[in-house]
Amino acid sequence: MDAFQALADPTRRRIVEVLRTGEQQVGDLVQRAGVHQSGVSRHLRILHESGFVTMRPDGQRRLYALRAEPFRDLEEWLAPYRKLWESRLDRFGAALEKKQQARRASEENKKK
Amino acid sequence: MTTQTKPRSDAKIVVERTYKASLQDVWDLWTTKHGFESWWGPQGFRADVHELDARVGGVLRYDMVANTPETIAAMKQMGGTTSHATHARFSALVRHERLVITSVIDFLPGVSPYETDIAVELAAIGNSVRMIVTLDGLHSDEFTKMQKEGFASQLTKLDERFAAG
Repeated sequence: MDAFQALADPTRRRIVEVLRTGEQQVGDLVQRAGVHQSGVSRHLRILHESGFVTMRPDGQRRLYALRAEPFRDLEEWLAPYRKLWESRLDRFGAALEKKQQARRASEENKKK
Repeated sequence: MTTQTKPRSDAKIVVERTYKASLQDVWDLWTTKHGFESWWGPQGFRADVHELDARVGGVLRYDMVANTPETIAAMKQMGGTTSHATHARFSALVRHERLVITSVIDFLPGVSPYETDIAVELAAIGNSVRMIVTLDGLHSDEFTKMQKEGFASQLTKLDERFAAG
């Protein structure tokens, strides 16, 4: 499953948001993300298989944490879109400049 | 599964610029026909504005017209016409401070139409204007697309597989 599909589910997005604050055990995730106990292991398994979370055992507890890689992939995927807007705002700046030049020119003409 | 058509706050792209200009000049580029046409793209396209009513709920209607040989060729290859009618509205607007343009994206092949927001915030700083443009991240559109196109049902199937496994 790719990153977008893994995050298409709102419950899994909530789990990811809670994990942003740091490593968590399942019980805390259930409480803080408002997930049903019955569904949480399935969601965690999907997030694990798609590379979003890692799990490490700590005695009886299982601790879940986020991995950076899939977020980098998402960022990369968005980069061209950002670039598009950067160049759009370059044109915005150029249009502003032109507008100001035109105004200055007409003010000069008025003076004459 | 809850359908979330509005993108989440963390799925945004923020682009910030500071221009040496007055608030009025910057505002005009977003809210007047002439101003909007003077810069709106994307690259290789020009905008022909038919209606621009800069009020809350006011309509913004323009044609996106291919104006380079490359974009003309690409548009022809995609569907035959070299311009595309775009429907949008000003869904929020506070003069010289803030505006939101909500556009209907209905030109992606195989993707059901969805709405996307462009939010603009302005602040005067000395002789300059800081402009912050916030865009709905494309991956939120991607969520919308997946939900509308039945990817969600595929996911449910996958969930069942995981649950069974």
